Amino acid sequence: MDFELTDEQELVRSTVREFAEAELAPVAGEIDRDHRFPEEVLPKMAGMNLMGMPYPEEYGGAGTDYVSYMIALEEVSRGCATTGVIMTAHTTLATFPIYKFGSQAQKDKYLSDMASGRRLGAFALTEPAAGTDAAAGTCTAIRKDNSYVLNGSKIFISNAPFAEIYIVFAKTDPDAQGTRGMSAFIVERDTPGFSVGEAEHKLGIRGSSTPPLYFTNCQVPADALLGQEGQGFKIAMQTLDGGRIGIGAQALGIAQAALDAAVAYAKERVQFGKPIASLQAIQWMIADMATSIDAARLLVYRAASNIDHGFPYSTEGAMAKLFASETATRVADRAIQIHGGYGYTESYPVERHYRDAKITELYEGTSEVQRMVIARAALR
Amino acid sequence: MKIVVAYKWTSDPEEATVGADGVVNWSRARPGISTYDPVAIEVARGLAAATSAELIGVTVGAKGVGTPLAAKAALSRGLDRAVIVEDDSLKGAGQAELAAVVAAVVRRIGDVDLVITGDSSVDVAAKMVPTVLAGELGWPAVAEVTDVTGQPGALRVGRAVPGGAQVLEISGPAVLATSADATTPHVPGMKDLLAAGKKPVEHVDLAALDVPASSAVMTITGRARPARKERKHQLLDTSDPAEAAAELVKALREVGAL
Repeated sequence: MDFELTDEQELVRSTVREFAEAELAPVAGEIDRDHRFPEEVLPKMAGMNLMGMPYPEEYGGAGTDYVSYMIALEEVSRGCATTGVIMTAHTTLATFPIYKFGSQAQKDKYLSDMASGRRLGAFALTEPAAGTDAAAGTCTAIRKDNSYVLNGSKIFISNAPFAEIYIVFAKTDPDAQGTRGMSAFIVERDTPGFSVGEAEHKLGIRGSSTPPLYFTNCQVPADALLGQEGQGFKIAMQTLDGGRIGIGAQALGIAQAALDAAVAYAKERVQFGKPIASLQAIQWMIADMATSIDAARLLVYRAASNIDHGFPYSTEGAMAKLFASETATRVADRAIQIHGGYGYTESYPVERHYRDAKITELYEGTSEVQRMVIARAALR
Repeated sequence: MKIVVAYKWTSDPEEATVGADGVVNWSRARPGISTYDPVAIEVARGLAAATSAELIGVTVGAKGVGTPLAAKAALSRGLDRAVIVEDDSLKGAGQAELAAVVAAVVRRIGDVDLVITGDSSVDVAAKMVPTVLAGELGWPAVAEVTDVTGQPGALRVGRAVPGGAQVLEISGPAVLATSADATTPHVPGMKDLLAAGKKPVEHVDLAALDVPASSAVMTITGRARPARKERKHQLLDTSDPAEAAAELVKALREVGAL
């Protein structure tokens, strides 16, 4: 068993950290405060090939392994959790379905622009009454001649106001039971009948805009169908299997940022005539935080390594997301505790880390869904 | 045209600690390319692109400077290839000794038109290597270089001087030390990192180089912290900003600071 990163993976970490510390961390507080989508950093990230890392160069990607992609996502999120979710929602949720299930014509049309970061993507699965129970969606796509007509709405769609390409799930057979009858479509932003609603006001990752989408007799060509009719649920679940590892990496970055802040503060803050880092009560908290982060990191990298080696990764990804997201919330909570009253104020970043961490337990499958996936595998 | 960038692989001082005795503990400082050397590579890359020159990285030092990671980190910044001398006898070597080895590598490469270095190394900051290197090669040395344009034999070199800027024309090979802020180096992209591993790296034995014995040996024989000036602990106790400013000016004049 080898726990060493390759030279390239080490360089990805140091290089993306350099970028995140210079370009992302300095604006993370401001974009959170102003609920501002950090549009200006996306061309810079595209210039560094960060918007399509795991896809082959022939499709505009960087051609890295998945572990490298997760390391980069971790470091981006350490600098700015909002930018982390923009990156993973685009790279994994929006681009992967086309890479994995798209026809050659769809790949030729979209992949190069998306993997190179020229056009931003979004993934539209969740509906007002269909969250964890994704198959309960009521959005429909009815075949009409050589097209499909979409009707319905989606909510909580990351990147939506700035995206140009949307992966949209809708029922092509509304009468089908359960997970059957759902299909996936590629919808372009300027399609008549498609509109983006007002962004939600959220607890955290406030720079990531997550509005609803509306489809009113939105007609897309038949070749916008991704994969086969009825394959939508499978496409969504396979995409989320990889996406969950990404949320694990995002959580890891948030947790590491919270620990870094706590360690720096504990060394500086003097009480009883000495830095609080010398107090055992603080040391034990830091020890627990560091240990949890290390365990989460191993789970995230293991799941990513499984992708690189062609091994199954659904259960491993669920474990990585579950543990890393709950670690992030716990570590950020402890970081506030170490900061005392100051940690509850906007003078220090840990309150933002705490708010940013919580979403990682919710989106791309709640912790309860991850436990369901893990239990199903364990009880098989 | 061949352009050499002499870079240093060294430890980051921000990760070093200073003991109560004033001695710097480097054991936990991670190694990396010296802070100002990416500036030199960026300036050199621009000139190499404009002149279709080959850009060759050269580094010399003790064990560690020639690891694949170190080489890839430098190559990912835009070098075409690297020539590395890694020999533990160079541990703790002085600036003159290191410059002599770099000069020997430049001679070995042959037909080099220009050597570009960073402003100074982040760990020692002596600013000696470019000058000594130029002396070893018999070339002119120019410091505080902000930009380089032109062709071999007709280089136009901009440099920062106190109170302004200066433009030089250089008709032959030279050693140029870039200013610390000559440009903002780009952060390598992911493709650059992967491509770095495919670029040629030549490891040269120190013993195989023709390094002339130095006529002078420089050894650090003592270290001390800067003497702390006595503090006056003078407080300007007024709520009127204009009055406070006047008092501050007066106080500064009294001690000769203004």
